[in-house]
Amino acid sequence: MSKYYRSNLLLCSIIGGFLFIVGCQKPPTAALEGAQAALDSAAAAGAVRYALEPYRQAEATLKTGWMELARQNGRLGPFKNYKMADSLLSLAKLQAGDAKRLARTRINDLATRAESERKALFDELLGWREALNGSLVLYKAENYWSAAELGLNICENLLAQKEYDAAIEAVADARQSLKQVGAVLAEEINNQAQMLVQWRNWVQETVSNSRSNGSYALIVDKSAHRAYLIKGGKVTRTYDCELGYNSARQKLFQGDGATPEGKYHVTKARPYGSKYHKALLIDYPNAMDRRRFAENKAKGIISRRAGIGKNIEIHGDGGRNKDWTEGCVALTNEDMKHLMRFVGVGTPVTIVRRCDKWP
Amino acid sequence: MSKRLSVIVLAAFVLITLAGCSKPPEMEMQAANAAFDAARTAEAEQYVADSYRAAMDSLNAANAMKQEQDAKFALFRSYGKSKALFVKAEAMAKQVGIDAAAEKERVKAQVTELMAQVRTALDAAKTAIDKAPKGKGSKADIEMFKNDHAAAEAGYTDAMNDFNAGKYLVAKSKLEAVNEKAKKIEEDIALATAKKTGKK
Repeated sequence: MSKYYRSNLLLCSIIGGFLFIVGCQKPPTAALEGAQAALDSAAAAGAVRYALEPYRQAEATLKTGWMELARQNGRLGPFKNYKMADSLLSLAKLQAGDAKRLARTRINDLATRAESERKALFDELLGWREALNGSLVLYKAENYWSAAELGLNICENLLAQKEYDAAIEAVADARQSLKQVGAVLAEEINNQAQMLVQWRNWVQETVSNSRSNGSYALIVDKSAHRAYLIKGGKVTRTYDCELGYNSARQKLFQGDGATPEGKYHVTKARPYGSKYHKALLIDYPNAMDRRRFAENKAKGIISRRAGIGKNIEIHGDGGRNKDWTEGCVALTNEDMKHLMRFVGVGTPVTIVRRCDKWP
Repeated sequence: MSKRLSVIVLAAFVLITLAGCSKPPEMEMQAANAAFDAARTAEAEQYVADSYRAAMDSLNAANAMKQEQDAKFALFRSYGKSKALFVKAEAMAKQVGIDAAAEKERVKAQVTELMAQVRTALDAAKTAIDKAPKGKGSKADIEMFKNDHAAAEAGYTDAMNDFNAGKYLVAKSKLEAVNEKAKKIEEDIALATAKKTGKK
């Protein structure tokens, strides 16, 4: 074998060996499949909705890696190099994993937040329910409360559907309604504060007159749901009483369910033949009521067609543990029987929403 | 000698030209991409997520095959397989678009049906309130039912807005809550009426 031939053979062996080694590079199909599976898993975990940006990034990297792999596939064996494709596909897998984790974290956070908001709303609703005392203090406030309660139900349905964003939104809407409940009640409290001075005066005058005349008088405290029989300026008997179903406000018109507030007197006693055991009719509407009624009509606070109402009585058939009358004061039949022994036509009856200062 | 060389060069040129005539499947690729755009517009990713992902993989495979052929020496390029894959991806994307639209329509129809049921329940509750026995002691309850009904009506309107905005699942959840409320009103009134009748 000539020297020339031997050196050529050696060279060919080296080149052949090199080509064999380089040509042995295999396409990273496992990396491609791994990245695809990771992306599918991220999509299934909700990444498309809750981690869209990293998900799209992983998707784009996978595509780039896949194209690079294909490009290398197209090259001649010795020139194939899958390193870049492998790196890109590995990166895509990592990114898909990150997207999945982020989606899960966000879903967990949202679910936790939505559940805690639901719980808080539930507690708030209960709190307001107690504040409203189940007695329809104010229809307007009740209206807002109903809307908030529906909001809670909607939130619960949305949570069951895993629609966390919408559930949180529903709670926010319900909270707005509860704010309105608070605003309505705050306004009511403000009005009451202004009226308190007047109620104190009425009670003071009634008690003073009773003291100076040694006569009987009846004072009804609506918030306490109590009626006080006074003689000579002193309380001789206290009765539990029930009021109009819309008791916590001044009577404005016929059918509003409110018990009137003012200084009245008994105009007629019905020991027999009353629809509600026994009854004492009072002089509602008095002059002050008529004036207020006319003013409210002029201001447009009440309808022009509204009537002022009449036949406000202190009557029996009470003891139902709720405010149920159209505006009358209801006592139990036993208390009514007792009261009728001391109260008759002309006896002063003073009705206040509340009074914290007895003379 | 010179003549023979010319013949060889000419033959090689013709061969290369013929071999190089294998054109990339641009039209098929564009058609597949357009079908994908349409599927995305039909919210396929939301309504038929798995099918969408499978179709997307198919499109990527077609693109990869094309890329592989692009990288080859012109003489050896063959786009036949890539073309077939693009055609398959296009068909899959079209089907995904159709399926997504159908699924969306199915959910929409379901919510539409529920909406009609809720409307009926609300109207029935209103009728029940109007017909509820009135008298001392019941007026407060009636006012409470009216408030509940007003809240339910507001919830219904809210759900309608979600429906019109294409948020069918959210609308469905809201309508279910409104439905429960409307039915509760009717049941409570029926119960109260029965109690009252029983008393008499």
